[in-house]
Amino acid sequence: MKRLPDVVLGVALLAAAAASLLTGGAALSAGQVVQALGGSAPPEVEAVVVSLRLPRLVLALLVGGALALAGAALQSLLANPLADPFLLGISGGGAAAATLAVVALPAAALGAVPLAAMAGAAGATTLVWWMARGPLGASSTRLILAGVAVNAAASAVILLVLALATGHRLPGALAVTMGSLANASPASAWWLLPYAVLPALVLLHHGRDLGLLGTGEESAAGLGIDVPVVRRRVFLASAALCGGAVAFAGVIGFVGLVTPHLCRLVWGPSPRRLLVRSGLAGAALTALGDVLARRLVPGAELPVGVVTAVLGVPFFVALLRRSA
Amino acid sequence: MTTLQARRLCGGYGARQVVGPVDLEVEAGSCVGILGPNGAGKSTLLRLLAGILPARAGEVLLLGRSLSSWRRREAARVVGFVPQSLSVAFPLTVVEMVMQGRAPHLGAWQPPGPADEAAVEAALHEVGLGARRDVGVHTMSGGERQLVLLARALAGQPRVLLMDEPATGLDVRHQLALVDTVRRLVATGVGAAVVLHDWNLAARLTDRVLILQEGRTVASGPSGEVLLPEILGAVFGVTVDRLPAPGVPVLVPRGATTHPPTES
Repeated sequence: MKRLPDVVLGVALLAAAAASLLTGGAALSAGQVVQALGGSAPPEVEAVVVSLRLPRLVLALLVGGALALAGAALQSLLANPLADPFLLGISGGGAAAATLAVVALPAAALGAVPLAAMAGAAGATTLVWWMARGPLGASSTRLILAGVAVNAAASAVILLVLALATGHRLPGALAVTMGSLANASPASAWWLLPYAVLPALVLLHHGRDLGLLGTGEESAAGLGIDVPVVRRRVFLASAALCGGAVAFAGVIGFVGLVTPHLCRLVWGPSPRRLLVRSGLAGAALTALGDVLARRLVPGAELPVGVVTAVLGVPFFVALLRRSA
Repeated sequence: MTTLQARRLCGGYGARQVVGPVDLEVEAGSCVGILGPNGAGKSTLLRLLAGILPARAGEVLLLGRSLSSWRRREAARVVGFVPQSLSVAFPLTVVEMVMQGRAPHLGAWQPPGPADEAAVEAALHEVGLGARRDVGVHTMSGGERQLVLLARALAGQPRVLLMDEPATGLDVRHQLALVDTVRRLVATGVGAAVVLHDWNLAARLTDRVLILQEGRTVASGPSGEVLLPEILGAVFGVTVDRLPAPGVPVLVPRGATTHPPTES
């Protein structure tokens, strides 16, 4: 029975993927989708599945996985259950730069919005790290305080941009702040892939070190961890994951904070077990949230971040009460 | 044989030098006690010896080789470090926590094997936590957490054991059990250095004692020759009586001779 939660997670992931591929404007049967994936469907069906639905699914999986994996890593790194990409200002920096780019760039250059978001996330990360650095490296408390400050500044920039935005650019800027997977394309999925896979490998490589850091810096250092090096690598890898996610999907809240907690309640706190499961659960949750975002209100699409929150919070509260 | 040696060792934080210069030798099969008033630099000295804090001047030799030339993980395979306290951000069980002691012996992607399991079982048994292996460390008392930290260090099968106030929060029976455990390890050839506050525990546990005051050595030598009323009285600013008792004499502070120094 020890394997049961893993099986449930795998089934949920497959179910979310199948539901995602079956969701969209055109009514396609499961058979048609399978044929399209195999390359034997009519061109117009194949175009819908391979150029629209599959990239959207891949993007949902990558973004959700990246956010949840980064959240799990940051919570262990900072030994703080509240840590997530938002608290640390990384997502905020990316979103501020993206909204600014949406409003300010000429129409022909709007393709550069993801680049702006990545630059914003990287800038926020650098700023937080620089503010938090002390004589003994960046401490957990200083990192969180610096993140809160950068996040506040980013929120101010976003609100200012939204207040000054002219009519036709406003929806694009709002979409960044509420999170959306509607702009998925094969190119965006390919772009995000290295941003998701390479940092994820770095985090998994440091899985055991993260567990040791959860017991305090001195305790971890005594067990042979080079604390400043591990902290820098994990922070930068998490920031890259968040930056990539914000660049292509805007701000999808809740997944990075709560998915690791859900997984911790099921699989225990050891990051070696937790990181991979968090990533997979975040991927499933985001894909499922995106399905509901497209299906709940006929003819309209809800912000996926709202759906993931509505989906996960009650579940989380129930688990939290049961384990109390 | 000397396992760990400090030569003119100095260290501190930021602009402030806290320790040094200090000379210290930890022989295989012997236990050195580090004593001194609050703020004397005992924990800092232990961090320098463990390589957690880099030395500013002088050096630490581990098994004859400069500690700065050891990789951190390699050094951690040889040196077991018991920190003063433990933070538990997320609820680990005792056995999970003790398994962390095997981390220096495992590759990043390598799961623990039978040898690691055996070392963990032996360490749990040694400190008497075998029956509490599945208890959450976050539910345990300060004294019990201290035992978990000791077991974690033992699971790494170190040749040098560095302990920062390991008796804090332990009741009398567990203090005596701690003395037995450390003496058993020392008898197998482990070299130990222990920061202690309790003179009488030091008299039972240690072979040699080093007394620090404001970062400098004010006395060092065999425990019986250093743990004397006149030395302790002068360093700690108290009058001390030495009462005869079977085995080790008992040191009892009677009253303060000076006020403790305060920050001005």
